[in-house]
Amino acid sequence: MSGEDRFVLCMLAPALAILGLLVAYPVGLLVFDSFFKVDTITPQIREWVGLKNYIDALTSKRVAESALRTIQYSVFALFFEFTFGFCAALLFSALPGRSRWHRTVFTLPLMVPPIVAGLLWRFLLVGNIGILNYGLVQLGIIRGPDAIAWLSDEDIVIYSVSFADIWLTTSFVALVSYAGLTNIPKDLLEAARIDGANAFKRFWHVTLPLMRPVIAVIVIVRAVDAAKTFDLIWIQTQGGPNHASEVFSMNIYQRMVRFGDLGEASASGTLFLIVMMLLAAAAYWKIWRPAHA
Amino acid sequence: MRRARRFNINGILVNAAALVLVLSYALPYVYLLMTSIKPAADVQQIPPSFLPAVVSLENFREVLQSSALPKAFASSLAVAVLTTVLSLAVAVPAAYVATQYRRRITTLFLLFALVTRMVPSVSLGVPLFQLLKSLGLLDTIPGLVLAHTSAAVPLALLLMSAFFEGVPKELEEAARMDGCTRFQAFRKIILPVMIGGIAVTALFTFITSWNEFLYALLLTSEATKTAPIVIAEYNSVYGLAWGAMTAAAVLYSLPVIVVTLALQKQIVGGLTFGAVKG
Repeated sequence: MSGEDRFVLCMLAPALAILGLLVAYPVGLLVFDSFFKVDTITPQIREWVGLKNYIDALTSKRVAESALRTIQYSVFALFFEFTFGFCAALLFSALPGRSRWHRTVFTLPLMVPPIVAGLLWRFLLVGNIGILNYGLVQLGIIRGPDAIAWLSDEDIVIYSVSFADIWLTTSFVALVSYAGLTNIPKDLLEAARIDGANAFKRFWHVTLPLMRPVIAVIVIVRAVDAAKTFDLIWIQTQGGPNHASEVFSMNIYQRMVRFGDLGEASASGTLFLIVMMLLAAAAYWKIWRPAHA
Repeated sequence: MRRARRFNINGILVNAAALVLVLSYALPYVYLLMTSIKPAADVQQIPPSFLPAVVSLENFREVLQSSALPKAFASSLAVAVLTTVLSLAVAVPAAYVATQYRRRITTLFLLFALVTRMVPSVSLGVPLFQLLKSLGLLDTIPGLVLAHTSAAVPLALLLMSAFFEGVPKELEEAARMDGCTRFQAFRKIILPVMIGGIAVTALFTFITSWNEFLYALLLTSEATKTAPIVIAEYNSVYGLAWGAMTAAAVLYSLPVIVVTLALQKQIVGGLTFGAVKG
């Protein structure tokens, strides 16, 4: 081994040790535990059950419902975050002067702890005192302040809890998109204009294709984060009413903490992990590098 | 002449739209601030009002006089500082060799760090609970620091790699010519140049730990509860104490926001540093 190799290994070793101990080993433990019946309350019981935990998880109605809700939540949140954020970025880049001041305000929610965002939106939406409904009454959109029960109507709660997510992360989309938009060479757009392309055509044929890698990164990062969401929803509803806002991560947490079923929680955790990896890999190959797809 | 005028009207329209957008975006947080300075009795009045009729620090006095919140702030601060120090100590050297000494192991290493970012924290939280339990570290500051470090190291690695990308290899070579060892070159020449990037990474790492909720919920109980856990508990333990909750939320979130806004120039400077040098 050359001196150079030794240097590289020495510099890498602490990080490798930390990631090994705190990520690789726990993931191994997670997969290992998923084949056992393990109880957090009486940890002496440890019984090999094979794939039973997986079969239980995959056939459970509550698990399936929470998985479906995770998708509903993620798609809904991602759609609005992306639309609002991208439009905001287009608006900022169209500002005649520099948009520094606007972007500064837009950075704000990036620093707001998710727990505070969840709390705040719960306060805006909650029955009786939620100011949002009073605002909608003033605007003549709804009849009375109790016309929409955002957080207690089982049919809409999974969408209502995503408002906080949308508010919190639109700024991320806007700032990353803005950075991407400023990197587009001005003479390309100018050339398209001289060739007679109108604003819409310039956007569709020049801006959008060039933004493709940036959009891919945003969609991957945000989709994974939205699917992992726990704290934002937990602080607003704790998964209620009647499990109507219980997403997959919350389902795992509940089985681990409330029911102490470590084995089944591990099986679900493993499945969750695999799906996220596949999702990220697929998105990477499909969107980011379309030439290879 | 006509063209210039049209541009102007467009400009005003765009400006107005941006202004409305930005203001409505900031509105929810302003409402939180306004609510926290209302007298406790006014917080839950029906119908709600946006501005306080009377300004009062009653809510702040209440949360600061209880022992739970100040203690939780101390825990949060200790965990976030230690997480930042530990994460940077391991991630900075690793990111340096991963970008400046490319070979198969470093590429695999960065890929592993990227994949780690995709792991749902609940999936990692379940086995971390067991790991910390067997080490006797449940409900301790070092235990939570380890859990937060598992999330902070990949983040710090990716950020620092982006910064190191922009450092020319010649910098180290020149130092080596002058008789430095590889490690001396790193410590005495490279690190001082990277101070801006390190500061930005430290800030992001700190915020990640400061904001973290799920691990704190799973891995701590009475002894080391962090601030977000105590704030979430105003819910159940004290009934729906919205006044106290908003005051605690302001105390918890405002310092980070103010520091970030104050350092924004440096942060943007730090973030563009890598790009410019490249």
